[in-house]
Amino acid sequence: MGFVWHVALRYFRSTRADAHIRVLSSLTAGGLAVGTAALVLALAALSGFQNHLLADLARHTPALQLELAGSRGRAADNAGEESAALVAWAAATNGVAEVQELLYARGWLAVGASVEQVEVLAFEKAPPVWIPVEDRAVRGLIVPMAVAQKLGLAVGETVRVFSPRPGLTPLGPRPRTRTLPVAGIYRSDRADYEELPVLLPLGEAAALFAGGDRRLDITLAPEAEPEQVAGFLRESVDPARASVIGWREANRALLFVLRLEKSLVFSAVVLIVAVAAFALLASLSLVLSSKRSEVGALAAMGAPPARLQRIFLALGALLSVGGACLGGALGAGVAAFLDHFRVISLPADVYIVEYVPFLVRGSDVLIVVASTVVFTGAASLLSARRASRLDPVEAMRSART
Amino acid sequence: MISAAGVTKAYRDGEVRRQVLRGVDLELGPGETVAIVGPSGSGKSTLLNILGALDTADAGTVRIDGVDLSASRPAALAGFRNRSLGFVFQFHQLLPDFTSIENVIMPGRIAGRSAASLQAEGLELLDQVGLRDRAGDFPQQLSGGERQRVAICRALVLEPPVLLADEPTGNLDAASGEQVLELLGGLRRRRGTTMVLVTHNPEVASRCGRVLRLDGGRLTPA
Repeated sequence: MGFVWHVALRYFRSTRADAHIRVLSSLTAGGLAVGTAALVLALAALSGFQNHLLADLARHTPALQLELAGSRGRAADNAGEESAALVAWAAATNGVAEVQELLYARGWLAVGASVEQVEVLAFEKAPPVWIPVEDRAVRGLIVPMAVAQKLGLAVGETVRVFSPRPGLTPLGPRPRTRTLPVAGIYRSDRADYEELPVLLPLGEAAALFAGGDRRLDITLAPEAEPEQVAGFLRESVDPARASVIGWREANRALLFVLRLEKSLVFSAVVLIVAVAAFALLASLSLVLSSKRSEVGALAAMGAPPARLQRIFLALGALLSVGGACLGGALGAGVAAFLDHFRVISLPADVYIVEYVPFLVRGSDVLIVVASTVVFTGAASLLSARRASRLDPVEAMRSART
Repeated sequence: MISAAGVTKAYRDGEVRRQVLRGVDLELGPGETVAIVGPSGSGKSTLLNILGALDTADAGTVRIDGVDLSASRPAALAGFRNRSLGFVFQFHQLLPDFTSIENVIMPGRIAGRSAASLQAEGLELLDQVGLRDRAGDFPQQLSGGERQRVAICRALVLEPPVLLADEPTGNLDAASGEQVLELLGGLRRRRGTTMVLVTHNPEVASRCGRVLRLDGGRLTPA
């Protein structure tokens, strides 16, 4: 064992003998244990929730779409030709399993005097996989349960579909409308706040919603990397014709909020570690004060300032590593227990999960370790610098006074 | 071996500036021993600290073994102290968390040598001062005289060419003081170590080759 660790270990052992230093160093270790455990638990809870939320988002969000530039408001024929060429090009791309054209628009459904504003999603071949329609073979008007309940609709009943874009007739502009039977009703496991679209085959919708927003929905082959395919499409497609919207771009705001939430929680909980670092600073200052003359003697024997500094850095590590490791292990263990046995339950009608999920990520643990190292390292460095700057003569004189 | 020329040092004591050394000159050859005597507060320890590179002079030069101490950086001075100087302090300054043998070999550990490679030399030194069987004891288990003998072993473990001792018997009873003096004398004879001893004790001073008196900030033959 080298000189630095040899001395640091002896000083560490001597902290057990002095009652004041023992109390402070125990507080340091305890504070770091609580801080790291709280950090690991908080980040695990957030990761658990976010993991569920992102998985849910991925299930209910298109993996990759091509938004046709300037399709909104364009004549249906032109837009159709444009999109047909892009469909053929996208379908030939490596990693793409299927491409179908979609049309997004807003409209109204009316049953008698009841009118409901809805989002309309028109599909070319079949309802997209990210819409939870049970029977994908159904063709025709498919209505989400929430809308069906509001309008009192059942399968087989008819409903009038209105477009906001009027048609021009010799008698002036008149609303475009069609009466269609309800071919299916679908239910989503997602929260009520989200507006679910009314589904229509593209053939039925094209005439009604000619100025809608046209997109190509791209289904990837199972082995394909979404980011890789998206990158290729982005490089290849003329931005004037279409833009590529990946799963992440589509949910950019939400992902930003999730990251922000994690950062804020981390910043709040890391304060416990910061307070423990202050306790470490106090412990090391007390050790330095009690070892002042010995540090002076070491300097007189020829220990250079840098090595005296390293002794106190090593001592800081010895005083903090136990608490930090214990806290980290405790946090990870408790998180695994809470997740495995689903200890904390949640109302299923409010949250997307029925319990508080915990997920301990390696990257989160690394962040906790890094923050602990930064705080305790800074505290140790302050004491270590003081030790290295001691005047050996003054320090040794303190033994006599 | 030791050459000090025009060394001055002053301290600020509140509003008062106290000139402790006023142009001290000292020449000391290899194997020579000198005792520095003088009244309390005359600056004997200050001079010893300057000679030992623990303190710096306000003016003047100090050279030991050709090394100009005033021109060296702190890290270089630390290395120089480790290699070339041995210190014996009035209050032994042993490290209480380390055993006698660990204290003795500490300068070697600082120099980067392993404990195993220093063990034999440390035990040999402890044997010479009659403390081999106390090698595993901690300083608080030793008497004052035993602690000072351990401190002398520590000062000599790397066989430095210069030994600086500040009141090495000042804190000891007569019998322990005599043991320490005999030990220092024997070591000087065997190893040819150059020694500077600061003392109040005429008996200690009389055993040195030269006796110098520091008074009024100047060093003169006693």
